[in-house]
Amino acid sequence: MNAKSVESSDRNERLRSIDVPLTVATALMLAFGVVMVYSASSYSAEVNYGNEYFFMTKQIVGCVGGAASMTLFALLDYRKLKKARWFILGVGVLLLALVLIPGVGVENYGARRWLNLGVTTLQSSEVAKVCFVVFAAAYMSDRQKKMTTVRGWLPLTAVGLGMCVLIMLEPSMSVTICLALVMLTMLVMGGMRLLHMLFVLLPLVAAAVVLVLVEPYRLSRLFAFLDPWSSPLGEGYQLLQSYYALGSGGLFGVGLFNSRQKYLYLPFAESDFIFSVIGEELGLIGCAAVMAGYCFIVFRLISIARRAADRFGCYIAGGMAALVGIQVLINIAVVSGCIPPTGIPLPLISSGSSALVVFCGGIGICQSVRLRSHASVRALL
Amino acid sequence: MRQTNSIIKTQKRLLAVSVSIAFLFCALFVRLIVLQLALGGDLTRRAAEQWYRDLPLSAPRGGIYARGGEMLAGNEKAYDVYVRPNAVTEKERAAETIADVLDMSVSSAEEMLSRRVGEVTLARRVSPETAEKLEAAELAGIYCVASHKRVYPYGSMLSKVIGFTNIDGDGQNGIEGYYDEYLSGTDGYVYADADIAGRETDGETHYVPAIAGCDLTLTVDAEIQSYAESAVMAAHSEWQAKSCSAIVMDVDTGGIAALASYPSYDLNDVPRNDAELLNLLSKNALITDVYEPGSTFKIFTTAAALECGVTGDGSRYYCGGSMSVDGQRIRCWRTAGHGSQDLAEGVKNSCNCVFMSLALSLGVERFYDKIEQFGFGKKTNVDFFGESGGIVMDESVVKTVDLARIGFGQAIAVTPLQLVTAVCAAVNGGTLYEPYFLAEARSPSGDVIYRREPKAVAKPITESTSAKLRELLVGVVEDGGGTKAQVEGIKIGGKTGTAQKYENGAVASGKYVSSFVGFAPADDPEYAVLFIVDEPSGYTYYGSLTAAPYAGRIFSRIADGEGWTRAEEEEKTYIRMPDVVGSDMAEAVKALEDAGLNVETVGSGVAASTVPAAGETVAEGDVVLVRGRDE
Repeated sequence: MNAKSVESSDRNERLRSIDVPLTVATALMLAFGVVMVYSASSYSAEVNYGNEYFFMTKQIVGCVGGAASMTLFALLDYRKLKKARWFILGVGVLLLALVLIPGVGVENYGARRWLNLGVTTLQSSEVAKVCFVVFAAAYMSDRQKKMTTVRGWLPLTAVGLGMCVLIMLEPSMSVTICLALVMLTMLVMGGMRLLHMLFVLLPLVAAAVVLVLVEPYRLSRLFAFLDPWSSPLGEGYQLLQSYYALGSGGLFGVGLFNSRQKYLYLPFAESDFIFSVIGEELGLIGCAAVMAGYCFIVFRLISIARRAADRFGCYIAGGMAALVGIQVLINIAVVSGCIPPTGIPLPLISSGSSALVVFCGGIGICQSVRLRSHASVRALL
Repeated sequence: MRQTNSIIKTQKRLLAVSVSIAFLFCALFVRLIVLQLALGGDLTRRAAEQWYRDLPLSAPRGGIYARGGEMLAGNEKAYDVYVRPNAVTEKERAAETIADVLDMSVSSAEEMLSRRVGEVTLARRVSPETAEKLEAAELAGIYCVASHKRVYPYGSMLSKVIGFTNIDGDGQNGIEGYYDEYLSGTDGYVYADADIAGRETDGETHYVPAIAGCDLTLTVDAEIQSYAESAVMAAHSEWQAKSCSAIVMDVDTGGIAALASYPSYDLNDVPRNDAELLNLLSKNALITDVYEPGSTFKIFTTAAALECGVTGDGSRYYCGGSMSVDGQRIRCWRTAGHGSQDLAEGVKNSCNCVFMSLALSLGVERFYDKIEQFGFGKKTNVDFFGESGGIVMDESVVKTVDLARIGFGQAIAVTPLQLVTAVCAAVNGGTLYEPYFLAEARSPSGDVIYRREPKAVAKPITESTSAKLRELLVGVVEDGGGTKAQVEGIKIGGKTGTAQKYENGAVASGKYVSSFVGFAPADDPEYAVLFIVDEPSGYTYYGSLTAAPYAGRIFSRIADGEGWTRAEEEEKTYIRMPDVVGSDMAEAVKALEDAGLNVETVGSGVAASTVPAAGETVAEGDVVLVRGRDE
């Protein structure tokens, strides 16, 4: 390959097309989310707000915001994010800290997770997760050779654990676990030795045990998930209601908008337990389609990572793939009673505009990586 | 090279992450297959239990009717009021309205609305007007559910037989309790799709209709019952007794035509809060309690003696005021003695000596045979809870003295129901029927699903013995101790009884159970009446004076009600009450008897007063009382 042809191919391919299948899949997920949020929340919205479109309207606004942020971040050269890594990390940590200040953070269901922005509320941890992914990608791409050593990964792990502690203080166990798993996945991508992984995992397991011991209600929630029938009106309630929804859905579901569980039986039907409503209305077939959709998105993100022009782009796309995949896995595992119930929304579908904007923004960054992935670099792979 | 290795390693790791995520997705999918397909049916069933609000449709309880179709117990529309606290939107207004309409304090209403339970019952069986007021307030979360309230149109009439239900409409005692399975229907339900707070959603509503209970027709005749009710009430007031009761029985079937007792209570106002009082008032002592029958039992001694041939028209007995049995002197009630009498005179005089002789000549075995055949010592199997079987000494331990005493109605305890049932057998030709209340049960659609046939359980005596017995007992009413039971133009047979009560194993002084048992029309009896005055106060305690007149009154009204043909009125001879005050008791009695009167005495010594007083008009053959005073 001579220099000229490289030059011309560079010019031609300097701005590759965005990943169209990923865009379509993301848009479909968002649209499906709007429909499901409406279906799951119309009754509770009518009862609580006197407006059956309450959550749906917010979801549409969130989608618009998401589309805007996706476009914005796709156009923005992702490499600028690398330079701003400390600022981004600072924003993430600041948001997590602010939310803990009484008066600034809005308390809901016994946890302080939202920042009051006047017109809307912002869930700090949603933003912080993506901030961490960007920072970790920047950090690892700078120190790729050292990542196999303890000195290489330890500072990043410390930052990640620090953020986990802040999230834990809200408290939000599920986001903590999600972030910790994303961090581990990124460390694996970054080349961390698998033996070293144990050094990270062991303290994490120990921390989990300590958390359970410090707040015994977590223990009872743990048991509730193992045998929800033993406390059908107490700890096992949420899970049973989710089971009822999934179980009555069967193979083909009871039909869109026909959920019975959404009549306030299923708590958080429009957010954390929206997958139960999907299972009830659209059955196993619908669940399979949704899971396939997520798998598709994750694999497209991984493929962007594999074709990225630089390590930063690679790690950022890999991190986003991990973030989406892990959060979906945790959500479905909770809903289907595989792990203790913990509140975590389903990306792109669950009600919640800050999460929508953040996930769309994350996917936009990945699109930016794809736009700027270089044929010459790909040739190296 | 190292760079390339590193890149290849990153690629591998990305692949590994993809594969891990894909694997986990597959694992979760398997879990979903288990939940949605394998467990789906079971989970759907469990879920369905919470999806519906089931409002009970209360089944109307069957009615209880008298023989002639008069409704004794029925239903009235009523409402139950519930609240689902978490569905209440205007708590303050709700609390105020509830407090006002249901007559409770605002604070307790608020407390009920704040309970952390799915549903609170605010009030049961409220009137339609109250329910309307609540409905008009249009309060979310408060529901009025149609139900039924038990009503008893006759109030206290037949209360001890009918019994009552609890607030839920379950029969507690009496007929309501005994035939609860017939009376209570099967509740229906309305299933409506509802949200978690019980608010109905737009879904379907399913009805499972209620099935009404069966209607019962009793053997009780409302008219005869009312005669009995007014008689016991009047007797209670005249004799200031502890209680007065009456049973009227259809002689040829065992069907109970009336059972009245006073004091009584209104079934529409059951004193549920006073368990002791309620127990006292609702207890049907005529079936559940025993008493020593006294002279009325002599009917069966006579029946047994006639049946076994140990006495007859030719037999004569001597009464010297007492009789020695096994060295023990047992006194006749008339200390002066009755002298020589034939059987008929002995029965008229109710002479204890005669019946002791009869019992002794029967012997334990034969007498006990008849006692058992008349149904004493065992339950009659009447369709009523708590029946007592009476107390009859074990045959193996009966001594001659006991035998003699049983002969005139002591040392034996019977229930009033047993007694009247046995009397029916004694006078109806000799067949003992099982007494019963329920004549017929009809399904809600009107089909007869049960009809009671009289059940003969024993044949203690033959028709001819029965006929003879009727003749003897007619004598008692015509010119013996039962004359106050006479009814003009109606031939009545009967026997009086005055028994001392026992308390803690000893004779309770001044406490008597005075009774009269009779039957009419005597030649072909239709009804037997037992009238009991429990603990009449004062000196007038003889059954002949206290109970017999009221039994007569009941017979008289039955005769009118049933249209019995009355015989030509016999000219009654009226005389003036002789003045015997101041003379010796024995002389006084002789003087009165010579004047053609039947005499009951209280005390001994010198005659102090008479009832009626000297000079008053008294019918010949009437029963009079002489009170003696020791000088």
